[in-house]
Amino acid sequence: MTDAIYPQVRIVSERLLNPETVERVMNLIVATEGVRRAILNGPRIPPTITYGPAKGQPNPHEMRKIIKIGDQNVELQVHVGTILLELENKDVIPAIRAACEAGFRDLPWYLQEGRFMKTSPSLVDYAKYGPDADKAIIGMADPGSKSGPVIIQGIK
Amino acid sequence: MAYKPQYGPGSSTIAENRRKQMDPSKKLEKVRDISDEDIVLLMGHKAPGAAYPSAHPPLTEGEPDCPVRKMVVPIDGAKAGDRIRFIQFADSMYNAPCHPYQRSYVESYRYRGVDPGTLSGRQIVECRERDLEKIAKELVATELFDPARTGIRGSTVHGHSLRLAEDGMMFDMMQRCILDKKAGMVKYVKNQNSEPLDKEVKVGKMMDDKWLKAHSTIFHSLVGVPFRSDQEYVEYVQRVHSLRTKYGFMPEE
Repeated sequence: MTDAIYPQVRIVSERLLNPETVERVMNLIVATEGVRRAILNGPRIPPTITYGPAKGQPNPHEMRKIIKIGDQNVELQVHVGTILLELENKDVIPAIRAACEAGFRDLPWYLQEGRFMKTSPSLVDYAKYGPDADKAIIGMADPGSKSGPVIIQGIK
Repeated sequence: MAYKPQYGPGSSTIAENRRKQMDPSKKLEKVRDISDEDIVLLMGHKAPGAAYPSAHPPLTEGEPDCPVRKMVVPIDGAKAGDRIRFIQFADSMYNAPCHPYQRSYVESYRYRGVDPGTLSGRQIVECRERDLEKIAKELVATELFDPARTGIRGSTVHGHSLRLAEDGMMFDMMQRCILDKKAGMVKYVKNQNSEPLDKEVKVGKMMDDKWLKAHSTIFHSLVGVPFRSDQEYVEYVQRVHSLRTKYGFMPEE
């Protein structure tokens, strides 16, 4: 769950992003030292084919790559189109804008301030994940997922 | 007075393109070459060169004495007893040359013995196998198709309403086709059912934005022609909407 005191921003680009662009932008964003949590959103790219006669076969895809953010490897599971950030305070927003400006280069993008993550678990969350689900993840990703969040250390 | 179909309202290029595609008296512009073998590979229903499997005996071998059957001339595939097979397309909202509803209209006006089906972001057309190959070839080789903004997708079709990738390709979860950046050529590496192909199928270069905007049949307020700029179309749609709404209250128009 997010805490209401932390500001949030959403960064949306005109096109769905290549892994190289995501890596470039995210490293610049992470270097601003003001990000508490981040989610990379976009349409999912499954590792295996999910439907049809080829079901279960591997699904090689150029956009499903492992990128390096900070010193951590992050396996992209989506074709990134939106970046959600929870920030330490509002003062970092200009630095985030500057990072996006440098990272996206010629690609059009925009940044919105608002509330994009859940602030309290819903009834459906309770029904799906039970009372003991990790509240830090509810509203951001599936708490039942085996792959947990990636923690990027050593940026401060 | 003989009935002359109008095909559709509107004064914009979009409306003009829609009418042109639907009108069977107008020839569709051929844009690329694709071989019969490649079409068979893309659809993945049988191996190229293999005989057409049949679903029933040929019609020459005993037809019941039926006046309707005598009246309707069967298409080649029906005569031979072919199976019914399909090809399905997903069209991007970003100025794709055709779109699901339009495709169904086009096919219904232009071809016999087809069963088009429209869904929100994709369109399927079913037909006897040997006739389908001919139709599919025309659908891919002409101005109805763009390698980047149109996808041949049997399943997992998501992409119609999504933003394009950085290189201009429509999102495809299964990445059936890839853009060869050096040659600027789009090639299919999987058939429409996502099964890997033994050989790549080249479907030509992606068309440039100018061509797409001039040939599109989709209104788009940001990247193309906005719907509201076509006054005639708006009036027509409003009239249909109004009459449908009033229908239950006995419209007197």
